[in-house]
Formats: sequence, C-alpha cells, structure tokens
Amino acid sequence: MTATSEPMTAGQPQDAVPLDDWRRTLRRAWRSLVRARWPLVALLILAVVGLAAAIGPSVAPRDPNRQAIMARLKPPMAVDRQGKVDYVLGTDALGRDVLSRLIYGARISVVVGLAAVVIGGILGTVLGLVAGYFGGWIDDIIMRIADIQLAFPFILLAIMFLIVLGPGVWNLIIILGIGQWVTYARIARGQTIAQREKEYVDAAKALGARTSTILFQTILPNILAPLTVIASFNVASVILSEAALSFLGLGVPPTVPTWGGMLAESREQLLAGRWWLAIFPGVAIMATVLSFNILGDWLRDFLDPRLQTTG
Amino acid sequence: MWTYVARRLLQSVFVIVGVTVISFVALHMGGDPTYLFVSERATAEEIAETRAKLGFDRPLPEQYLSFAAGLVQGDLGNSLTYKTPALDVIALHFPATLELTIVAIILAIVISVPLGILAALKRGTAIDGGIMTLAMFGQSMPSFWLGIMMILFIGLGLGWLPISGHVPVLEPLLAGDFGKAFGNIPAAATYVLMPALTVAFFSISRNARLVRSSMLEVLGQDFIRPARAQGLAEREVVVGHALRNAWLPVVTMIGLEFGFMLSGVVVVETIFSWPGLGRLVFNAINQRDIPLVQAAVVVFAVTFVTLNLIVDLIYARLDPRIRLT
Amino acid sequence: MPSSLRNPPVNGDAHMKRRLALALAGIAAAPAMALAQAPGPNTLVVGYGTDASTLDPADISSRDTANIAQHIWGTLFQVTAEGKIVPYLADSYTESEDGTKLTFKLKPGLTCHDGEKLTAEDVAYTFQRAADPNLKFTGNTPGFVFSSLGYRSIRAVDDTTVELTIAKYNPIALGMVGEVYIHCKDSYEKMTKEQAAQKPIGSGPYKFVEWVRSDRIVIEKVPGYTVRPANFEKVVWRVIPEASTRTAELLAGNVDIITNVAPDQIDTVNKSPRAKVQAVSGTRRIYVGFNQKEMFGNTEGGKAIRNAKVRNALQYAIDVPAICAQLLNTKCERATSLVNPPNGNPDLKPYPYDPKMAEKLLDEAGFPKKNGVRFEIVLQSPRGRYLNDANVALAIGQYLTDVGVKTDVQLMEWASVYVPLIRKKEAGPMFLLGTGGGTWNALYDMADLSTPTAGTNYTNWEDPEFFSGWAELSQKRPEAEQRATINRMLKIFYERGPWLLMYFQPDFYGVSNRVDWNARRDEKIYINEAKLK
Repeated sequence: MTATSEPMTAGQPQDAVPLDDWRRTLRRAWRSLVRARWPLVALLILAVVGLAAAIGPSVAPRDPNRQAIMARLKPPMAVDRQGKVDYVLGTDALGRDVLSRLIYGARISVVVGLAAVVIGGILGTVLGLVAGYFGGWIDDIIMRIADIQLAFPFILLAIMFLIVLGPGVWNLIIILGIGQWVTYARIARGQTIAQREKEYVDAAKALGARTSTILFQTILPNILAPLTVIASFNVASVILSEAALSFLGLGVPPTVPTWGGMLAESREQLLAGRWWLAIFPGVAIMATVLSFNILGDWLRDFLDPRLQTTG
Repeated sequence: MWTYVARRLLQSVFVIVGVTVISFVALHMGGDPTYLFVSERATAEEIAETRAKLGFDRPLPEQYLSFAAGLVQGDLGNSLTYKTPALDVIALHFPATLELTIVAIILAIVISVPLGILAALKRGTAIDGGIMTLAMFGQSMPSFWLGIMMILFIGLGLGWLPISGHVPVLEPLLAGDFGKAFGNIPAAATYVLMPALTVAFFSISRNARLVRSSMLEVLGQDFIRPARAQGLAEREVVVGHALRNAWLPVVTMIGLEFGFMLSGVVVVETIFSWPGLGRLVFNAINQRDIPLVQAAVVVFAVTFVTLNLIVDLIYARLDPRIRLT
Repeated sequence: MPSSLRNPPVNGDAHMKRRLALALAGIAAAPAMALAQAPGPNTLVVGYGTDASTLDPADISSRDTANIAQHIWGTLFQVTAEGKIVPYLADSYTESEDGTKLTFKLKPGLTCHDGEKLTAEDVAYTFQRAADPNLKFTGNTPGFVFSSLGYRSIRAVDDTTVELTIAKYNPIALGMVGEVYIHCKDSYEKMTKEQAAQKPIGSGPYKFVEWVRSDRIVIEKVPGYTVRPANFEKVVWRVIPEASTRTAELLAGNVDIITNVAPDQIDTVNKSPRAKVQAVSGTRRIYVGFNQKEMFGNTEGGKAIRNAKVRNALQYAIDVPAICAQLLNTKCERATSLVNPPNGNPDLKPYPYDPKMAEKLLDEAGFPKKNGVRFEIVLQSPRGRYLNDANVALAIGQYLTDVGVKTDVQLMEWASVYVPLIRKKEAGPMFLLGTGGGTWNALYDMADLSTPTAGTNYTNWEDPEFFSGWAELSQKRPEAEQRATINRMLKIFYERGPWLLMYFQPDFYGVSNRVDWNARRDEKIYINEAKLK
C-alpha cells in the first residue's frame, strides 16, 4: 500500500514565476524533456494509456463483460478449429476477453488514479493554505486532524469504510482521495508560511485584496510547483493502492474491469501456469506507474535546478 | 524539551480520541454484528437475546462512553470472536508484526542506503543508471504480486526458503525464554526473509532514490567545500560530513515508514500466513469484531505517536539547527 | 514485465519469457526440493483457511472451529459419513411415549483429559452451563442446538444415566444432541470464561496442546482412548488463509491435507507427484432465491418472479452442469429440491438446460421480448463466501440475459452488507445463497421452510399447499409413513418453488499421497481416522 509520498524531496521553487513567462517555461520544459529522453518515453506511454482510456470502447474487440464460460482460460493467440485467433491476449476465468478488459481497464484505472489525486490534492491544498495563512487555532485544528489520519494506517481506514460503503468506483476514489490529503496539506502549509511574509503578499494586502484572492490568486500559483511534483508521484501510488485493495476484495466490483482487479483475480491462476492473466495487467500497471514516477522525477529536477542530474 | 514532550503527549490524547471515534462510527454505520453470532435458523427473539448478550442493544453514545471509560482504565473489552480481552489478543499478534516490520525496516535501510550513496558517488554512470532503474521498477510493482511470485519461484520452485509460516523470536524473548529465542533465530530468519523483502521492496526503492538525491544535495553544499579544501580524504568527506547530513530525510522517513509498512503487512501477512496484527485486524473488521478493531486502532495510534515523537527527538539531535518548541 | 525485476530489466524480453515459462513448468511438474519442514511419520499437518475463534465448547459457533473441536471433545451420539446416527459417549438411549423425554445411558469408564471421571452429572452440567443466561454464551449449542431441540432441562438419574427433557417430539433430536461437546464439571467450574476460551479440557480422542493465535493449533493423541480410534500421535492445524499458499505448501510436502482447493488449481495438484484432490458433493445447498416480498412487487423483475410460470421457465435457462464443470471444475448433478440426496423425491428429474423452452414458457407467461429484453431484474450475491460465488452469480446473470431477462448482478460484502439483508428477508428480488444441510434426515433440510414466517424462509414464499404439509407430517411418527407427504411437498417445491435450483456445493480437499483419508460430504473433518499409507 502506498499512502504516503515523498514530501522530503519536493523541490522548492526558487522564485515566483511571473505568469507571462509561461510560454518560455513550456519551451524550456520541452527541450529538457527531449534532452532527458526517458521522461519523453514516459509521456508517450501515458499518451497511449490516455488514448485507450478515451477511445477504448470503440477500439476494444469485444464487450469486456461478455462471458463465454465454454471458452474460458484460453491462452493468448490460441487458434480455434477454423484456424482463427479469437482472443489475441486470451480469456479469463469467465471466458471474458483479456484484451478488451485491458483496454476498458485503462479508463477506470486512470480515472481512479487521477480523480483520487485531484480530490486529495484540492482538499489538502486548500486546508494547507488556510492553515498556513491564518495560523493559530485554525492551523491547530487542521493539523490535529491530519495527525489523526496519519495515526490511522491508511489501509485500515480504507478497509473499514469500503466494507461499510461497499465496493464501487466512486467509493474507492473518495477513500483513496481522502487518503492523500495530508501530504498536500503539510506541504501547502509549509510553503504558505514561507510565502505569507513575502513582499508581494504584503503588497496585495495593502491594495485591499480580499483574503480569498490573496490565498488563491496570489499565494497559490507560487506554491503550486512542489505540489505538482507530489501529485505525479501520487497518481502512481494510488494506482498501486487500488491493486492492493482489489487483492483484499475491496476494489471495484468484478463487473468493472480494472488492471488492479484483473491482477488480483489472476493470483489463483499463477500456480497453474496461466501467466497471461497476470502478465498483461501487470505490465500495464507497471508501465503506467513507472511513467508517472519518471515524469515526477523529471518535473522535480526541472523545477529545482540545483538537483539537475542525468535523469 | 520536556515542555515540548508534554505538549506532544497532550496532542496525542486528542489523536487517540479522534481515531477511536472515527472507527467506532465507521464500524457501526453498517449496523451491529449480531447477525454473525446467531445461527442460520435463529428466530427474532433469539436474535434480540443475542444482541443483548453482546451489548449492542444500548444506544450508540452510551456504548462509546462505556468504551471510553474502559480505555481510561486500560480495559478495552473482550473480543467478540476470541471471547478473551481484546488487548490480550493484540498482544499475542503484535510480536510477529513487529518482527516483520523491524526486519523490513532494517532491510530497507541496509540495502537502500549503500545503493543510494553508490549511485550518488557514481552519478551519471551506468551504475547510477542501473540502480535508479531498478529502484524505479521496485516502486512500480504491487507487493502482493511480488509475494506470490516469490512463493512460487523461491519457495516452491527452487525450495530455497520456507513457503509460509512463522517461527517466533520476540515472543519467547519477551517471555524471558532467552534460550528458545536465540535458538529460534536461524529458523526464524529463513521464514522472515521473503515476507520482509516483500514489505520492504517499495521502501528500498524509494529510500535509495531519497538517499541519492539528498547526498547529491549535500555534496554540492557550502560546508563540504572547506572540508575538501582542508585536504580531507574523499572518504572522510563522504562518511564524516555528507553522510551525516544525508541521514536526515531517511530518519524522517523511518518515522513515517512504520505506519506505511503496517499498511503493507495486511496483504503480506495474508499471502505468507504470517500470524500478525495486520491480518488479525483485517479479519476483525470483516467479522465486525468491534472491540478488537477498536483496541487495534488504539494500539496503532499510540505506537505511531510514540515513534514520531522519538523520531523528532533524534532529528533534533542530528540537526542542531532544529529547535524543539 | 513485473517478474523481470529480479533480473536487471535490460534483459531481453524473449529471454525473460523463456525463463518464466521454464520456471512455471517446473512448478507444475515437480517442486524441486522441500526444506526440512515435512511432517514426520507420527504427525499430520492440516492446512486450514481460518484460525479457531474461541475454544470454549459452549461458545464455538463456526464450522471451522467445530472441526478442530470435535477431536477434542466427544459427543453423546455422532453422525457418520454415510449419514447414520451412531452412539459415541452414550451407549444407548430410550424415548418416552410422547417423545419429550430422552434417556441416555453412558459408556462405562469414560474420563476427561485432566483425569476426571466423566459421569452423567458432567453431561447434565454440559447442557446446563451452555444454557446459563448469566454466562451469555452465543455458541452453536445454546444458539442453535437448544432452539432446534426445544431444550427444557436435563438431570442425572444415576452415574451413567441422564434424562433430557424437550418441549415436544422432535424427529431430529438425536442429530442435534450429537452436536453438544461433553465436558467435565470439575474442570470447567474451576475456570473463568476467559480461561475456558483458551485452554480447553476435552473428552475426545485428542487433547489440546497449544494454540499459537493465527498460526497453529496442536493436538495430541490421548493414550488409551478406546471409544474412537486415533492414528497419528500429533495433529497440527496450520492457519494458511491464502488458497494459493495452501496449495503451494501441499505441493511442497509441508502439509498433508488442505481445505478449499481453488477449482483452477485442482489439475495442478492432481498432476503433481505429491498429492491428489478429493472432490465431494457437499450438503450445502446453493440456490438462487426468488424473493416474493411486497417491496419488490413494484419493480418489473420483482413482479415477474411472483408468477410461478416465470420461475418455472427460468429453471430451463441455466446450464447448471456447465457451471459446475467450467467454474467449479467438477461434475455435479442439479438439485431437484431443497433436500440433499439420497433423501429427496426419487421421481423428480433435474431440469435440463433448454433455453428455447425457457423462452417459450416466458412468452406464454406474458413476457414477450422487446428489443431482446423481456424484463430487467437484480441478482444479488455475496463475494468470497461460497466456492467461486461471484463468478457463478455472474455466469447466471449471463445465462438469464441470454434468454431476455436482463440481469444486473450485484456482488456484496458478506458480513456487514449481505447477512443483514438476507436476515431481514430483503435480498433480491433474486439472490444467491447457500444454506447448510444434512445427510441424515429430509426434514432437517426442509425445516428451512417450516412456516411461511420461518427465519430461514428468505424468499417470503407462502404457498398454502406446501405449508399445509407440515400439519400432516406432525400427525405421523415413523419416517416411513411421512414419506408420501414429503414427496408431495417436494414436488410442489420443484414445480413452483421459490428457488432457482442449482447444486450442492462441492468441497475440494487436497490430500497428500502419504496419507489415507476420506473427505466427508457434510463439511465435517475427522482426522482421527486418517493413517499413513
């Protein structure tokens, strides 16, 4: 299970990036991406996964839930009596097409990963901003709630709520999202404390800006960089968490194809040598997670020039 | 420093009340567990009678208050399934999990730190690339998958290590039976290796990367340069100065690591039949053994709070710039 | 590719695949060498899915714990593998004229494991302790046996005679008495409830040695025990929750008997040189209930299945033998009623798989196909409770959808979601369930539907003709006279009953080639009869 991420290594933004410099930054980013090679590969892999998620239903050869129990556990490229290959990547224990489930699975896995991070990220960032900016008892309350959550091994919390709420894509996303907010809150809070005494914040105050404007329009853009880095690592860990929860029978219902669920279902088949049921979703998970990790690394190096390394 | 410790302890009371309230509410959200303790053919009266025997016929706030009153006196009630005090059941499962986590944390350190240092020193070479690629892969693999593969290949296929099970060391040690504890160590080591590696794999990968980047950062900093200028051997620079500072993020990580690894053990204990707390609590939640879950949650929270306090104190020792307030 | 991680990932993909294929082939063929953990000739190791919960004889409630417990304690009577009830600690029994007083004569010279003599007083104490409201036991004995028995009181007449009083004549009384673990008064009066939960003192062929929580329970042969045989000196019940791990341990030769082999691993076990799988048709009745409750009446599907013709039509839509062969990896005969063979109505033949017939009957019942759909319905099922339950439910959903009954399969968590739903009789309108049955009496199985309001009538079925049979049965005493009525009731059940008839759950035990042991149909495990080949 991967509930925590790595706040320690988050890059510190050197200075506030003026908004009109965005185009130049993007160009610099692209050059850096090309130079580092691997992040580019990662981006390509994610593009493929994203494409599968977006247009999956129109390219998948079959209905991912259509069963054919007389044609179950067919190995990849098995040739039927007419000499045709019906299932390129084989079938699972209910005779469902592995390739189609893999393609549909991209959608759920990616949606779960991204949505959980977005929920956790927004929740954590807002609470962290508020805690850091106002300080005092507001800060105290928010940080104690964060402590409560940290003292709860994430998986316990997830198991407890998923058993009660029942499996479902949204329940899973909410639980995984809630599991992430503390990381963002702590970083956002630290960054906000560092920023709130800066001159440009004072200037905004002096000009009579509203608190919400100061928080979200003045400070937020300047603390976004480390949060983005965390987020990219986080998508990776959320996808792994989904797989672990599926193993415990708490992922999405088996009628919804996900990579984690497919991998969890494959565990009884491994002993009997039915490798294809584990390898394909396994590779899909690893490639995606690896790509998010590589991108996260690159992003960190890119945003923190002190650490620029070979990539 | 003592006022700091006192304040932290006060905060931890808040934390413990918080976790027990949350788990209490969560566990009761789906109704009480009476149905699991009556036979398939029980009548409505029998169900009501059993509910009263289990104490679930009282209003929820009253149930929580009586739990809290017990908590203050160190009595967390009896487990519904084991019928013995919940804390005793936990105490019987705790040593196994502790062994697994300690070995995993040790593995996570002794494997990752040298790898991370090596990668930093050989920065930009094939060695660096190789270590970092491996670390990347290690962070991308679901642990249950790794565990099953180890059982199939190393345990069953090659027969190098036992497939599953547990030989206790901590438990006889705590019971004062030193002979048995030390005699068990060789066998225990073979049993703990695969599960501990599975638990630690993610951390090994992550820590290696962490050590590498923090080494690189330290090596480029101001205070290293005078050390070099003074003509200290490179070895002394690395060990004496850089390493000491590069430790900091790793120490912090270990504090968080415990809670993190506890998450990992639920899956690993199931795969390797390890008689620990993770699986116990998972089963307890499934069987809605509310007193047992509550007790476990309290134990987890206390452990977490204590460990983090210790880590913060060590941290302050290592880094004189940090003041405890 | 995940498995390449232990090799440097720069390795060629083809190379890796070959290694993987080799390794997997190696696993399937022969485990190379086992470490020195294989049990010796005097020890038998069972790989078991769950830990015991409590070892207090009055608090034991699960079948899993009972399987261990029935080696530690003896019972007055015992049900054999063939479903016959034979004396155990009792020698004989007599029944009063009205059937409310059962008098048991104990075998002479019985003792408990602490050396205490086991007398009629101890038997009476066993019942009284379990019934004591102050002790708040929730086990099988006070919770199920006593209510099924109609337990009133018990008293010792003399040293070896004990008299049990029940509310009224009960045809299944002896079988119920056979589930009460007899223990000694002196040993248990000394113990607190907490001590009794952990350190049992028994009266059976094996005595308790140690219980390492979540890891193992060890029992040891009682020297000189003659009432039942025991062959292995020591039996170890190892807790191995993960099915794949249990199979791996069996193949490595570290355990002798494992329970609940995953169906898709059966062939792997059978191909290995170490062990074989024993498949038995269990007594647990797996069925899909048609819930007749009012609350479903306003849904399309709920209304449809209140029509007996629809229920009958759907029987033809499901290929039960195919489900067994494909998903459970075993042959099975489709059930014809709620009664376990051989106690069913011999004239009833299992419904064949005939989707055309199903479609024809559905047309006739007034549910024509519109755009390929006749009506929509929800099928609820637990997940992970019964053998491959989720997959079976999904397969049923597919079969029903194929004849135009668009089925939404909802899989649910057992303990906190499904059980309350079932108990409130609000699962459905279609729900998958398995309820325990017996081999020793048709009425025991039929008691699920003893009255329309019975707690186990989860379908809320009220057919007056079926339920009137019970009044008739209570007039007739010997089982032979009851047969005609039983057969008539089962025929009604077959034709318009509230169950989509499925199968009796097969149980798979993996048994090492070194051991001679036979699995039973009723989920009970008796190790004392196992021996080395």
